[in-house]
Amino acid sequence: MEKKKEISQNKKPQGTAKPQNKEKTQEKASVQKVQASNGKKKFKLDLHTRNSLKGLVFVSPYILGVLMFFIYPIIFSLRLSVSTDIKIVGMHMSGFSLSQYIRGFVVDVEFLPTFGAAIKDTMVNFPLIIVLSLIIAVLLNRDIKFRGLFRVIFFIPFLLGSGEVMQQLLNQGVDRAVLNIMDGRLIPYNVLMYFGSTITDAVQTILGVLVTVLWGCGVQILLFLSGLQSISPALYEAAKIDGATEWEIFWKVTIPMISPMMLLNLVYTLVDSFTNKSSELLTYVNKVGLKEFQYGSALGWIYFAFIGLLVAIVFAIMQRHIHTSEVEEVKKRERKHRVFTIEKAPKRTFE
Amino acid sequence: MNASIESSQLKKRPNALLSNLKLRWSLFTRKYANLTGVKRILVRLVMYLLIMGLAFVFIFPFIYMITTSLMSDADLNSTSVAWLPTEIKFENYAIALQIMNISRYIKNSAFVTVIASVGHVLACSFVGYGFARFNFPLKKFLFAMVILAFIVPTQTIITPLYLTYSNMQWLDTYLPLTVPAFLGFGLRGALYIFLFRQFFLTVPKSLEEAARIDGCGFLMTFWRIVFPLAKATVVVALVLSVVWHWNDAYETGIYISKPSMAFLPPRLKAIVSAANALPEDQQAMMRQLGLDDGEDILNDAVVMAGAVIISAPVLLFFAFAQRQFMQGIERSGITGE
Repeated sequence: MEKKKEISQNKKPQGTAKPQNKEKTQEKASVQKVQASNGKKKFKLDLHTRNSLKGLVFVSPYILGVLMFFIYPIIFSLRLSVSTDIKIVGMHMSGFSLSQYIRGFVVDVEFLPTFGAAIKDTMVNFPLIIVLSLIIAVLLNRDIKFRGLFRVIFFIPFLLGSGEVMQQLLNQGVDRAVLNIMDGRLIPYNVLMYFGSTITDAVQTILGVLVTVLWGCGVQILLFLSGLQSISPALYEAAKIDGATEWEIFWKVTIPMISPMMLLNLVYTLVDSFTNKSSELLTYVNKVGLKEFQYGSALGWIYFAFIGLLVAIVFAIMQRHIHTSEVEEVKKRERKHRVFTIEKAPKRTFE
Repeated sequence: MNASIESSQLKKRPNALLSNLKLRWSLFTRKYANLTGVKRILVRLVMYLLIMGLAFVFIFPFIYMITTSLMSDADLNSTSVAWLPTEIKFENYAIALQIMNISRYIKNSAFVTVIASVGHVLACSFVGYGFARFNFPLKKFLFAMVILAFIVPTQTIITPLYLTYSNMQWLDTYLPLTVPAFLGFGLRGALYIFLFRQFFLTVPKSLEEAARIDGCGFLMTFWRIVFPLAKATVVVALVLSVVWHWNDAYETGIYISKPSMAFLPPRLKAIVSAANALPEDQQAMMRQLGLDDGEDILNDAVVMAGAVIISAPVLLFFAFAQRQFMQGIERSGITGE
């Protein structure tokens, strides 16, 4: 693999030297139209290889990176997780057994409960983050006063939130503090008294979860906002002229147009919620991983297999609904509803 | 064809009532959809209330952090003081600065953050351009690797990375934190490659063609023509990268074990542990630092002062880049397609 890289870099000077020759051949081809068929073919091929060489030059840092920091560690850690004997000094591994994986599921009493807790947390937070950040992004995208200021404000928790600082704030009970200020104003005490303590507590916990979730969705708001910004206003105008309501515009213009960003956001949120600093699972894997290399990498793989599965599910679901481009969309629809398109037409005119 | 239409209509017939109802419902909503006068104002009012409430929730940690950091011990414990401290106490900051030993660590943090985020921007724009413009062998495979690198958590491959770095004698240097960034990896490097690729896909090719006709080589074309065009995306990637690098404690904690090379954010724990220590220990510590004048106590206010100090550089940086950053988003620097 390293050799391939070297070759591509060796070819680089050639690629830069070529253009002069090529322009000459192009001139020739345009002059000698009759004999062009052979020459043209050669020229096309040349352009193709030249382009691909340029591309390789651009991607070459990434190729190096992929080999060093990605493929090699991945193979290494897979091998590590199934090996029975390791010598750290020479990085020598031998044997094959799945005992480390089995240990994770059967022997270890700590791993599965923390794993389950992490899954539960994600299942609660994941849809909440997506829906809330979409709502906020839509609000921020409307023509409100002080829009710039609001956008900055909604980004502040991200600046604090991805590190130690937010952890400390949470330790000091900032989420409870915000609830204390809100309660009594959001829902009057009399109403709460009426419902009894269990429901009051439930409301409190739900609000607590909501607040912490809200602080964690800065990046998602950002991604959605940029997706919303990229929708052409002409689409909204056309929809309005056709008499669509705001609600319909949201579901039939906004949502399809931001569906690619939705996919990115879903994947990002999924990955982020599992690699979050506050997740106990991660701290556990870390703690184990740097003591027992084999077991640590086995746990890492179980962990990744789960995330990979979820991402694959998201991809599979989204692929059907994702909006690609106008031409593709029309083709897709024709392929799917060949019969129904004819049938639906009269209804539309009636509306 | 005819037969299929008929059969589908037959199938649909039982749903006639349902579709009729649907139609009626849509007509009904349309009738009340066009809001006028009072209703419109009401809707706006609700929207503003909602957004202001949410904004309050979002800015609350920031306000809480600053107000608490200025409180005295009496203010912290009294129930009547919720927001404004009765007396502003800047000593908290002095104590926090002393305990965190900031001058020693801020250099390390700033150095790694600047180098790594610049590396990210340069490398990811370069690679993203390659992915957006050219066709080359293994392109699909490599792009799949970008997406995989985005999904695979660092925790999965941390052990081999650690072993590799230790074999290369890279531990306790800043190389493992900066070199991957220059190769498009590092902290969420794949995300930036993705963002840059998306941006370059929207740039028309004619500019580059014009540059080529004027005799500009392809690397020069990238540097002089294409990279400046991506200014908005550069700012977005830079802000994200700076914030993540500054706040990162996971990889830094694993690769760097020398105390003299440690970073600023984990120092907050030093204050927390000092604040949680026994009063006698606290006294001894304060005396050691030369702060003992009998009044200052290590409490939550000092912890918050430390938090303000740690997050200040990032907040300042964002305040500085804010205009560009928001423009970057508005100019659809990141588009989803």
